[in-house]
Amino acid sequence: MTFINYVAREINCKIVYYGPGLGGKTTNLQYVHQIMSMSPENTGKLISLATETERTLFFDFLPLNLGQLRGLRIRFHLYTVPGQVFYDSSRKLILKGVDGIVFVADSQEERMDANLESIANLAQNLKEQGFDLMKIPYVLQLNKRDLPNAMPVEDLQKHLLVKGEPVYEAVATKGTGVLTTLKAVARQVLMELRKSA
Amino acid sequence: MSFNNFNLHEPEFQRIKAILAKMQKELRADLVLLITRSGQPAVVSGEAKGVDCTALAALAAANLAATDGLANIVGEKEFSVLVHQGRQRSLYISDLVKQFSLVVVFDASASMGLVRYRSKRATALLEDVIRDFQRRMEKTESVSNNPQFSDEELEELLGR
Repeated sequence: MTFINYVAREINCKIVYYGPGLGGKTTNLQYVHQIMSMSPENTGKLISLATETERTLFFDFLPLNLGQLRGLRIRFHLYTVPGQVFYDSSRKLILKGVDGIVFVADSQEERMDANLESIANLAQNLKEQGFDLMKIPYVLQLNKRDLPNAMPVEDLQKHLLVKGEPVYEAVATKGTGVLTTLKAVARQVLMELRKSA
Repeated sequence: MSFNNFNLHEPEFQRIKAILAKMQKELRADLVLLITRSGQPAVVSGEAKGVDCTALAALAAANLAATDGLANIVGEKEFSVLVHQGRQRSLYISDLVKQFSLVVVFDASASMGLVRYRSKRATALLEDVIRDFQRRMEKTESVSNNPQFSDEELEELLGR
């Protein structure tokens, strides 16, 4: 649910980073926070609800100011979901009111089944929240491109593409591809908003 | 009652703000907020030093959503109210037509009973505003006033 506050002159959108456990969703947000916090007016605190071993328990949250469009401040709220299979009920809750999804896939060959399970889980959970994966703004990020066991991009695309969505290669630990991915989903969300005008 | 998008304009803002301000004054609460269930602060009354309203809204919405999940597990339709009682400050979070929530941050000088009472009254008034808003949205459904912008403006924004 995009929230447009004409009194405060701002547009608020919600982006959710989805994907299998240990795929790099939190690392994406940490990098965005690191870069954006160079100008403190552009971002707030990064909130992480994590376990003692730093695995995401509920979600990470990062508010972001992207700038102004026609006099309206564009604010994005970035969330991650916990990737571990048994936190499914938490993932459903975080999708409430979502405007756009970044699917962070793990490029390693041995994580292909986890990627596929997570996409199927995303489609199901979106459906339960009244959304359709085929219609919602959606970007695929192929993360961990630097690892020796990373599968070729073509093979990953063959299995993971759901609707011809934009695909970005990334190494989130180094920041490679992180901002490009974010801009791509932001673009889709704002274009969707314009389309409904 | 549900919205794809929620556009807050001056008339609703002023009505909501007046309800929240009255409640804040009566309870001498630090903060009273109307937030969306997706975790965005919509209208805020009051100022509490050191409270990040954006983070508060995100966590309160998640908290209420998690509580709904708990309710389902134990066979309840919902737990519509959440209370967190602290030494200095407490939080009262209640559901509002499943699309919004009312959040009150108050100190020890306000009794819990009074907070509950005032919140119930405010909730009823806020629901009226939201219903009026929904009626207006239905009437003007075909005439959306979401912002229009060019591809160039969008690229300029994202190129920063």
